[in-house]
Amino acid sequence: MIEAVIVFLGLAILFGLLLGYASIRFKVEGNPLAERIDKVLPQTQCGQCGFPGCKPYAEALAKGESEVNLCIPGGTEVMIQISEITGREPKEMDAEAAEPKPKEVAFIDEDLCIGCVLCIKECPVDAILGATKQMHTVIQKECTGCEKCVPVCPVDCISMLPIEVTTKNWQWPEPQTVQEAK
Amino acid sequence: MTALSSPYAHNNQSVRKVMLQVQLAALPALLAHIYLFGYGIVIQWLLAVATAIVVEYTLLKLRGRPVLPFMTDMSALITVTGLVFCIPPEAPWWVVVSGSAFALIFGKHLYGGLGYNPFNPAMLGYAFLLISFPVPMTQWTMPGEVVGYTLDFMHSAQVIFMGHFDGNSLDMITGATPLNELRTGLSQGVMVPDTLRAHDSQLPWGLNSWAWINIAFILGGLYMILNGTISWQYPVGFLGALSAMAFIFEQIDPATYPPLSFVLLSGGTMLAAFFIITDPVTASTTPRGKLIYAAGIGVLVYVIRSWGAFPDGIAFAILLMNIAVPLIDQYTQPRVFGHRR
Amino acid sequence: MGLLQRLAKLLPLADHWLHRFHGGVSPQYNKSLSASQPLRATLMPSQLVLPLQQPVGLPAEPIVQVGERVKKNQLLARAGKDPRKALVVPIHAPTSGTVTAIMPMTLPHPSGLEDWCIVLTPDGLDEAIDNALQVDGSAPQTPQALKDILLQAGIIGMGGAGFPTYAKIPGEAGKIHTLLVNGAECEPFITCDDLLMQTHADEIVRGALITAHALGAKRILCGIETNKPAAIDAMRRAAKQFQQDNLKVEIKEVATVYPMGGQKQLTYELTGVEMPSKAHAVDVGLLMMNVATYSAIYRAVTLGEPLTARIVTVSGLGLEKPFNMPVMIGTPFAELAEAAKPKVALDYPLVMGGPMMGFQVQNNQVPVLKTTNCILANPPEPAEMQMPCIRCGACMDACPVNLLPQQMYWHAQAHEFDKVEKLNVFDCIECGCCSYVCPSHIPLVQYYRHAKSEIKTIKAEAQAVELAKQRHEFKLARIEREKEEREARLKAKKEAVKQAVAQEAASETSATKDSATAAKSGAAAAAARAAAARKAKAATASTDNQAILGSSPSSSFPSARLKAIEAAKAASARAAKQTAENSPEETQQAGSDDTAAPAMDAKAAARKAAQLAAQKRAQAKATANVEVSDNKETADKPDTKPDPKAAAKAAAMKAAAKRREKTQQAGAEGNSEALAPQPTDSTDNDSTDNVKTAPVDLTGSSAETPASQKEAARKAAMAAAREAAKARAAAKKQPAPQATNAAEPSARETDAATDAATDAELDPAEAARLKREKAMQAAKARAVQKRQAADNSNTASDASSQESSS
Repeated sequence: MIEAVIVFLGLAILFGLLLGYASIRFKVEGNPLAERIDKVLPQTQCGQCGFPGCKPYAEALAKGESEVNLCIPGGTEVMIQISEITGREPKEMDAEAAEPKPKEVAFIDEDLCIGCVLCIKECPVDAILGATKQMHTVIQKECTGCEKCVPVCPVDCISMLPIEVTTKNWQWPEPQTVQEAK
Repeated sequence: MTALSSPYAHNNQSVRKVMLQVQLAALPALLAHIYLFGYGIVIQWLLAVATAIVVEYTLLKLRGRPVLPFMTDMSALITVTGLVFCIPPEAPWWVVVSGSAFALIFGKHLYGGLGYNPFNPAMLGYAFLLISFPVPMTQWTMPGEVVGYTLDFMHSAQVIFMGHFDGNSLDMITGATPLNELRTGLSQGVMVPDTLRAHDSQLPWGLNSWAWINIAFILGGLYMILNGTISWQYPVGFLGALSAMAFIFEQIDPATYPPLSFVLLSGGTMLAAFFIITDPVTASTTPRGKLIYAAGIGVLVYVIRSWGAFPDGIAFAILLMNIAVPLIDQYTQPRVFGHRR
Repeated sequence: MGLLQRLAKLLPLADHWLHRFHGGVSPQYNKSLSASQPLRATLMPSQLVLPLQQPVGLPAEPIVQVGERVKKNQLLARAGKDPRKALVVPIHAPTSGTVTAIMPMTLPHPSGLEDWCIVLTPDGLDEAIDNALQVDGSAPQTPQALKDILLQAGIIGMGGAGFPTYAKIPGEAGKIHTLLVNGAECEPFITCDDLLMQTHADEIVRGALITAHALGAKRILCGIETNKPAAIDAMRRAAKQFQQDNLKVEIKEVATVYPMGGQKQLTYELTGVEMPSKAHAVDVGLLMMNVATYSAIYRAVTLGEPLTARIVTVSGLGLEKPFNMPVMIGTPFAELAEAAKPKVALDYPLVMGGPMMGFQVQNNQVPVLKTTNCILANPPEPAEMQMPCIRCGACMDACPVNLLPQQMYWHAQAHEFDKVEKLNVFDCIECGCCSYVCPSHIPLVQYYRHAKSEIKTIKAEAQAVELAKQRHEFKLARIEREKEEREARLKAKKEAVKQAVAQEAASETSATKDSATAAKSGAAAAAARAAAARKAKAATASTDNQAILGSSPSSSFPSARLKAIEAAKAASARAAKQTAENSPEETQQAGSDDTAAPAMDAKAAARKAAQLAAQKRAQAKATANVEVSDNKETADKPDTKPDPKAAAKAAAMKAAAKRREKTQQAGAEGNSEALAPQPTDSTDNDSTDNVKTAPVDLTGSSAETPASQKEAARKAAMAAAREAAKARAAAKKQPAPQATNAAEPSARETDAATDAATDAELDPAEAARLKREKAMQAAKARAVQKRQAADNSNTASDASSQESSS
């Protein structure tokens, strides 16, 4: 009886020490969870999640302070990825965000632009070029399509346009799947 | 209008044609079987086909798939044909019906239908029968050369559906297959050469009926290799490995291990070599993978036959290697043109 | 060899022993359909369509006008930028005629997209410019000389991909040891290369010799499939005829198997060299070109002919009389197909290229390109239903690149594109062998094409995401830094103010004035002349700074700022000097001011200079001023904002901005504003003027930190606002009609401001209604005002600038 107790006590102490040692020895620096979430986010920096950018949202998610379904540009796909990383239940997206939208970029109607620099200040990735009283233009390659510049424009000269299909970026469509592949 | 990609030409091959070619290649063996064992196999085959039609139709309907194209792809026909050759010709009707149904339902449809099954359906059905009904599965009708006559069509039907013919018990015409006899003999202390000598055949070249059926399978198999229906790697790998095992062990102890010719021409060796392991869905697909897969089956067959609990190890050897296929494929990818290995 | 071939006829398996590369298929060739016919005479089409966009590279820029008459071989479009970088290929007129349009037309591309094309209507005369490339007919001695001719001639690879030939050829001699000639032509139906070899073998051989000579290649190998005995004969004869001492074209027969004509396959067959994946043939000292390309090279180098025509096979099971024909580039497909007597009406899509690698065009009117080797009219056949993959491995046995098509298909179907890529999908040459043999009729090639473009998109997106992340982080860092800098500056400013208050003001101020004056006169001159705009801006900027901060220049400012001030001083001095030299009219006044300044009373000088500046400004850009006020008073812009909603919104925005500005002013600027002497205003105006007149960005021009750039921009905005306010005030003083006009906008503004305020409290619907109402009123008022404003603006702004300067 007493031997058994001693043996188990000894084992408990041994494993406890081992675990404690391991937790110190193999401690992971930083918050890899937030990093991983940040990786799957679309980096539009649009702020539609209510956070000032993708990284803050990722950090909030890592801490468990936010819902998984807030990333509008990412849509359902990103929501599922987030829930896989965080190990939380997937949640329905809001109605309009559930459908994947083709990527759009901002376009400034240069005849209307008054050069107020409001959109330049708003752009999270500095993709708008221009200066005070000069008409602005969007660097299409760098625009993330976050739509943040659209509401701030005082003259409504910014519109979101889908990227034009040319022979250069045209894609072969996927073959229609057979009926049985459902 | 949707863009349709090239090529706009085709060699007019189709799944149905491939399957029909296999069926055609099995014809010599079927004829030999009828000649040597009587019409039992025809009744079994008809029963299996009827079962297949019913099962296919029901399951395609249940799964909401187009019925006609998948019924006519003839893959079920190949499955049940493979199974029928493994069943004793005068086995009760419910054996082949349940075996075919199991093979198609559990071997194919539950995995998602043609092309998605990891296990060879015919062998799955056969293994199911071997485990579930060991007695009827080992009572083989004796060939005409042993009993002196073969049952005609009506008598066969009587046996299959009622268990007896003209009041005679089934036991009169059934017995053990050579493989079984060998095993029983060994367990009773009879040496292999003695067992074999006791059953000398009157057929040409002293080959028994089972051997002749195997030869018929070789004929069909060669036809399929020549017209490109099956890859040569399967039979070469399988028979190579099996021969090597048989040769080695015969050299070690001829009294315990049967000779090479017996190993190659008994049981379902040639059926497996040309018709069963060549089922592409469940086999490895890379050139080296095919060889490894087939050789693995060869080794396993010999192991099961010699030291296992079952007289013929084809079914289990194939099912075991089916499991290994993804692994084999993964590690035998061919060198792509312009890449270093 | 003979035995093997006989064996291969009996045994399909033995086919593979005839050639070195893996796989391959032997489809129904149907070559005799067109090969049995002699070459037909060129058809004169009703119109020619010449796409500016070639298969590879950027589009060329047209140099002809609509309605212009052109001659054959005349240059129609050329590279706008450096063609060597953008792979732009020039376009020449295939015949004489009139340019009738330059417009988007459907391209021969699987997508069926439209792009810009030059449409040429032939006049039937076929007047040509001889030796359009102005060559002397001698063989180029260096690769560069050859490349120059090829570029001018617009020659691109005519075998399929259409890569510009000048870009394919290496620039240094001796890099290529073996030149390869591709005469395999393995696709079914196509016989254009076969006929070219039969009829123009000498051109091909001489083209190859010219190229080999220029590149310093030691050997020329030509591979022709065994099913073209006539072509082999003709080529052998030509090779012998033009044989040189150390260089000759070696003709080699290769087995008839598809895809023997693939570059990598034929290279392997001829030389035994397995081209490494992702490497170019040039990297291993080989260069392969199509026979048609060599022929084009010969014609360009010796005759000076640009590439405007090529032999095209028009064939197919749907045509009564298939043929080969030298065709002008740009001829519509349908006209050629009609010439071959279609059996039934051509209501099905034609195929450009062969049945294995070609594509269906979306419109049968698409033009022949330089890469169009065949127009195929095969009536559509009932499509076999696609069945599931049975993993039979037929595709794998057929793949000439030794890929695992069935596994790639499996992953492509499941959208596991990373795995598809790992299976080397990018080594796939899309030859179509796998689909050709697939018993399940799976469109494998399309799966791979889709997967390839998906992978490319995914990679591009990943890059874009990474870039966005970096740029966002950079922006955040910048904002943070700016904040810190602003705080530091604010602190410094406060200290400066304290010091200034503590010190005796008079002498200090006059000294400051002095420098300000100097700058001012410079600025005035610069404003008068646009050439000095940049310097003047620096000057005004610095004046601004000095006027505000100059009271204690010794206090601890950021060094960048001090430097800028120094620079501005120097600049203004320079500008002033220039004024003195260049503008005699001003010299007297400005010059005397300048020189007199030290001696005279500083204040008087300053005033004089300011007056001068004001006058200049008032004359030079009364309209500009209007624009300034326009921009600032957004409610005043009927022309740019036709939408009442937008107007209302703008008004609200404006009001909000005003509020913000006000608080800022109150907080940060209040002190310095109060301190700043009178001329500051005018300099402020100046700075806004410069922004308007000079197309250079204000923030970018001064060598200051981003933070101070922003500061400057903000100041400029504020100055404009102040000026606008003054303009309004001035307008009020003026007679009735003007006063009401000018006053209205401000009144409306306040309205809008209150509106915005109430908006916040009201529920959205109510707010929207109110907004609409307001907007309607505003719009009406604007309509009336707009007319009057046009008349009054000049005087108003005149007044405003005068007022502000006085």
